[in-house]
Amino acid sequence: MTLSRREAEELLPFLANDTLGEDERRAVEQAVASDPTLAVELAALRQIRQTMQSQQAVHSPGEFGLARLMRDVEKEQAPARSVVTDTSRPRLLQIAAAVLVAIVIGQAVLLSGRADETGGFELAGGEAATLNVAFVPDAPEATIRALLLQAGVEIVSGPSALGLYGLNVIEGTTPSAAQEVLRAADDVVESVDRTD
Amino acid sequence: MAGAALLALCQTTVFHQAVLTSSRLRYVFLAWISALSTSHELITRIAEGDRDALASLYRLMEKPVYRFIQSRLNDPFEASDILHDVFMEVWRSAGRFEGRSKLQTWIFGIAYRKVIDRHRKAGRTRLTDTPDETIEDDAATPETCIAAGQDAAQVRHCMASLSEDHRTAIALAFWEDMTYREIAAVCKTAEGTIKTRIFHAKKLLLRCLSGLSGGVQA
Repeated sequence: MTLSRREAEELLPFLANDTLGEDERRAVEQAVASDPTLAVELAALRQIRQTMQSQQAVHSPGEFGLARLMRDVEKEQAPARSVVTDTSRPRLLQIAAAVLVAIVIGQAVLLSGRADETGGFELAGGEAATLNVAFVPDAPEATIRALLLQAGVEIVSGPSALGLYGLNVIEGTTPSAAQEVLRAADDVVESVDRTD
Repeated sequence: MAGAALLALCQTTVFHQAVLTSSRLRYVFLAWISALSTSHELITRIAEGDRDALASLYRLMEKPVYRFIQSRLNDPFEASDILHDVFMEVWRSAGRFEGRSKLQTWIFGIAYRKVIDRHRKAGRTRLTDTPDETIEDDAATPETCIAAGQDAAQVRHCMASLSEDHRTAIALAFWEDMTYREIAAVCKTAEGTIKTRIFHAKKLLLRCLSGLSGGVQA
């Protein structure tokens, strides 16, 4: 297999990344051996590749991105699962579920009635964020995690299109105390605001 | 089960830090798990609704896919959104993966198309196979490039100066160590087109690095 100079040049980057098949590799190596300019060009390409590969600082979404993915997957999975299981569920279970739903609805009605009497209840689920925070773009995930633990907060939503995360305080911390801790870490946190 | 043991290994922090942060090691690992059909086992499990398998795949591929997307967009927020969309599509379409290409190629292909869709929605004009710039044969001096190629800032600057198609070809070849056939599969184009793109991209990159095209002054 003999290559023209143009063909050898086209395949040179793939000799540099060592992905050519046996025949092509041998042919390009032959071309490089007989042309010193190609040899120098190959050395330059290998150097560029090595430099690019040594740049490992990719500030990807990391664990935050994974948490967001899992949350959305769960949202999507929930209705799909119920459709699948509905078809195979025994009739007795369907009746039991219907009774359970009726009980839950009954309790909800009862509770909402009492809530009116006592000034209202707050639901535990579906909590809204008390703080909105934006992190410094290149802040390492480990540093952010440590700061969140220190401030006594957890992420409950985000990132939004603007890169904002919603936080809620964990038991034993107040929003203002958490806000102070976050605000003090200006090397990690770009902005922090109360939502109320 | 070798596959299950490997999946468990993928999920450990030590493994993540020691192997997946190194591009070369990641490539070797991907080749290895491909050989053991673990990637196919992963995607099969994802198709069955196994979220742990999706998390393993995400940890394995997130950084290179994000880097690839960002190299085409240069916007970290948009890149994060597209990365999310890519893995949502992997989740939804895992059952349609036929194993005719490597899992890595399939996922990068999804990312490539998502970026194009984003460009279309944003009304950005994407230049596909633009007429190649006229480059003098002796425009670059590779000897100078060897030295300049060691300077990460210069390499970044010169990569950024390339057109999107040229940058993509070089990024997939040098970051991901893909063959020209795999790059063609990602970009859904002919192998000859990829060879031509990389030929011109290489010329422009070397020319930039040799300082003839306004290379960055480090």
